[in-house]
Parts: sequence; structure tokens; C-alpha cells
Amino acid sequence: MFDCVDPKSLEGLTWLACYLTTGKHMAFYASFATVLFLLALTAPLAMLFGFGGALASRSAVLPLRLFGKGYIAMVRGIPDIVFFLFMPIAIDQLLETVRHKLLCPDVVEPIRRGNDFVVCTAAKLPLGAADQWVHELYGFLLASLSFAIVFGAFAGNTLYGAMQAVPRAQLETASAYGMTQRQIFWRILMPQMWVYALPGLSNLWQILIKATPLLFLLGVEDIVYWARELGGAKTSAFSYPHPDWRLYYFLFLLIFYLMLTQLSERVFGWLIRKTDHGALSAHAARAGS
Amino acid sequence: MTQAVIELQQIEKSFGTLSVLKGVSITAHKGEVISLIGSSGSGKSTLLRCANLLEWAEGGNILIEGDAVRWKETSSGRKPADAAQLISIRTNLSMVFQQFNLWSHMTILQNVTEAPVSVLGRDRKEVEAEALNWLDKVGIVDKADNYPSQLSGGQQQRAAIARALAMQPRALLFDEPTSALDPELEQEVVKVIKQLAAEGRTMILVTHDMALARDVSDRVVFLHQGLIEEEGEPAELFANPKSERLRQFLSATATS
Ligand SMILES: Nc1ncnc2c1ncn2[C@@H]1O[C@H](COP(=O)(O)OP(=O)(O)O)[C@@H](O)[C@H]1O
Ligand SMILES: [Mg+2]
Repeated sequence: MFDCVDPKSLEGLTWLACYLTTGKHMAFYASFATVLFLLALTAPLAMLFGFGGALASRSAVLPLRLFGKGYIAMVRGIPDIVFFLFMPIAIDQLLETVRHKLLCPDVVEPIRRGNDFVVCTAAKLPLGAADQWVHELYGFLLASLSFAIVFGAFAGNTLYGAMQAVPRAQLETASAYGMTQRQIFWRILMPQMWVYALPGLSNLWQILIKATPLLFLLGVEDIVYWARELGGAKTSAFSYPHPDWRLYYFLFLLIFYLMLTQLSERVFGWLIRKTDHGALSAHAARAGS
Repeated sequence: MTQAVIELQQIEKSFGTLSVLKGVSITAHKGEVISLIGSSGSGKSTLLRCANLLEWAEGGNILIEGDAVRWKETSSGRKPADAAQLISIRTNLSMVFQQFNLWSHMTILQNVTEAPVSVLGRDRKEVEAEALNWLDKVGIVDKADNYPSQLSGGQQQRAAIARALAMQPRALLFDEPTSALDPELEQEVVKVIKQLAAEGRTMILVTHDMALARDVSDRVVFLHQGLIEEEGEPAELFANPKSERLRQFLSATATS
């Protein structure tokens, strides 16, 4: 390795190598992993919420149906950004309130005092004494959950539509051959709805990828945060002075996002071809004729 | 007289205020082929759908091999009371639809094996071997691994017939099996239906094809506005229609 002890004496490639391996740059690289983790955690969770919402919307039980429709409609009607700002705080306060009620039953003062939200020390999340990484993990999990709730509602909308789009005749034929509602759901509806759901889910996934910089708004140090931080001009007071390089940093992000969206487009294209079997085109032809 | 496989007694069915069936009785004995004819909207499909309980008749009795459907009254009308009986009836009467309705996400072979395996709980290997025989019988065994969208209409309908046969049903219900087909593809399906009739299968056949009805049926039933207007043996009924309406219907179909 290079000897990076005295950056001022370095030149050319050595300087660059040392510059790109500073602790802050390492944190920058790690933040890419944060983004990927967020996606890996949020996407399945959002699908789970989405399925929950879609199934609830189709339920024969009225309260469940209202809940499902409400969930899907609520998030569609409210700008996402509002949700991203509101949701983590709401979840945080909800958890702390529950803990407050359980852990400090004898505190008589109300939790809400004017604009302040005060819970007892034992109810705080994470605990005040917790390590820095616990705070960061907690923030990250809150952010992921918020993403999942918002994108779950979008996914729920797409999945609900896809389930409605499966031709009735396909399901009715299954009942004519003696299948139960449960069998019809798993053997006909589920395999057939993907053709209708995948284009919408593909879109959602792209939006989710491009929404990850919102993490920054939620206090998670993501790639956009670091790109701004590192790219900004550094005076000679810094170990590695340089002019404003934000453009290069953001170009790098651009390439990262482009690669990610390109890759996912391919994966979705493959999935769509895999699930289609020409059924969609056949329907389109019939509808057009 | 041989055993009655399907007995429909005084079936009544309406949709909202529209009364579609106003008391229709039909009996199909073992080995009999009954053709249902009548103009569009006369209630032919609804009658078939009532027989295998896709629609729930509000009045009348349905007996399958002598076993009467048990009903229960609910706030939204009469419903089959016994889920096991409902499934048993549907597995014993196989339906062939005008639009084929093959399951689009399954290959032809999977379409044929699906219900015997998942509904009847039979062994997959055994069912597959039989399925290939059925596909061979209808002349499309080479399409076993294709998806429905890759087949012509005539081939799809023959696959749908193989699917119906694979259930080893007591009777087959055909709802205008050739109406969605181009004339040149119609014959390949007609040939299969004639073959099934010749084997002595019990069938109720809704059709617009009067030549087919004449060739395969033991009895022809003419439905008009939810009632049986006239019925009889095909030779007699087509040669000497008694009712004015049947005469009109026959001359209209002959010229079309
Ligand atoms: N599910 C339904 N809901 C409302 N009306 C229906 C329904 N099914 C059939 N009908 C009506 O019942 C009548 C008879 O239909 P159908 O049995 O399909 O006639 P056919 O098969 O003889 O052409 C038609 O007027 C049709 O519009
Ligand atoms: Mg019809």
C-alpha cells in the first residue's frame, strides 16, 4: 500500500489513491451498500404489505376490505414526500408511546406537552446511552419501514389491479372443474396475475431506486449526502485540498443509478417474457378483433 | 329405460328482474346425446351452467345420477348446502366452453392433468400417461408441451375436450363448442364430438350447427324465451317442426 501519512507531500496518482481511500471515502463507498440494503429490505417488505393490501381489498369481510382500500387510496392521494417525512416520526412516536405506557405506568404527565413529545427515559428509542451505530441502525430501519409502507400501498394498487385483470373465464373454468376458492387463487389467479402486475411493479421498482436519495432527508447518510460532502471544494486547511468536484461525484452517482435501473429493466423484461406465454398478446388480439 | 345421469326438473333462474329460465325440465339418460337449440339469449348457456352449479337455480330440482342437489336458503337466495356434493357434481360433469378457456399459463398437457391431480387427487404420473392418450385421441398429442396461445382455435377446442375427458366424467356439457371457430376448423371439432357420441357418452350439447344436432342427437330440445317450445327426435323435429317459432328459427338458421 501507499504511505498516506503526509498528504501534502504526495503527487499525481499516489495522491489520488490516498485521497480515494480516506476514511470519509470509505464511508462514501459503504453508503452504496446502505442504499442496496435499503432496496433489499424495502422491496420484499413492500411486496408483503402490497399483497396484504390487495388481498384485504378483495376480502369478503367488510372491515378488512375497507382497511385494504383505505391503505391503498390513502398513500395514492398524499404526496410521497409528505409521507417520507411524516412516517418515520409517526412510527418512532408510536413505538415510544407504547413503551412509555408499558415501562413507565406511573408517570402522570401527558406525553404531548404543547409541541413537545416527552416520554420517560426508559421508553426512549434507542436508549440515550446506546452506541452511535444503534442510533444509525434504528434510523435506517425506520426509514426502510416508511419506504415499505409507502411503496407497499403502490404495490397493493398494482397487485389489486392485476388480480382484477385476470379474465373471469379463467377462474370460472377452474370452478367448473371443481377447484375450491383456495385452489383457484393459488393455481390460477396467482400465476396469471404476474403478467399484468410486472410492468407496474417494474415501474415502481425504478421509482423506489430513484427515491433512495430521500434517505438523506431522513437523516441516513446515503450516497447523495456523501457526494455533496466529499465533492465540495476543499481549502488548504483540509488534508486533500481540491476545487469543487461535485460534478464528478454526481456523475459517478448517475452511472450507479443508471446501471442499477438498466439491470433491473433486464431482469423485469426476462420475468415478463417468462410469465407471459403469449396470453397477453392473445387477449389483445381478441379484444382488438 | 337406462339410468338418468342428469335430471333437471322445472329449473327457474333469473338475473335481477330478467327471468331467463321459467321452468325447464330435461333428462339425459346414460349414453344419450341431447342437443339444445334456440336463438341467442334464449337461456341455453344458463341452463348448462345451472346443471353444474356455476349458476344457482332459484327454483326446481337437479339430480345427478339420482342424487338430488341439497339447497339451503340464505338472505341472498338459494345456495348449494353441501360443498362436497357441489365439488362432486362439478367433477362428474365436464364442461366445454365456446371460448375454450384453456388456462393460459399452463401447457396443453398441464391443462389436461390439472384438475385430475389437484381436484381428484390422483397420481400425477398416471394422469399424465392417460392425458397423452386423450390428446392422441383428439389428434394433438404433438402439442402437449405447447401453450394454448400457440395453438389454432380448433386445436385449442380439442385440447379443451381432452381436458374434459381426463376427468372421466359421467356426462359432458358442450356450450357452442364450434361457434368461435372458423368454418374450416369447425370440422375437426365436429369429428371429435361425433366420435364421442358414437362411443355412447352422455352429453348435452348446445349448438347452432343444425347438421351436427341432427347427426349426433337422440333428442333435440328447442328453447325459446326460457321455456321448452318443442322437443323430439331429430329426424322428426327437423322434418316436421310443429311450432311456428321453431319453423321460423330453422328457416333463419338455414339461410344464415
Ligand atoms: N350473469 C348474468 N347476469 C345477467 N344476465 C345474464 C347473465 N348471464 C346471462 N344473462 C342473460 O340471460 C339471458 C340468457 O343468456 P344465455 O343463457 O347466455 O343465452 P344463450 O346461451 O341461449 O344465448 C340473456 O339475456 C343474457 O343477457
Ligand atoms: Mg350461450
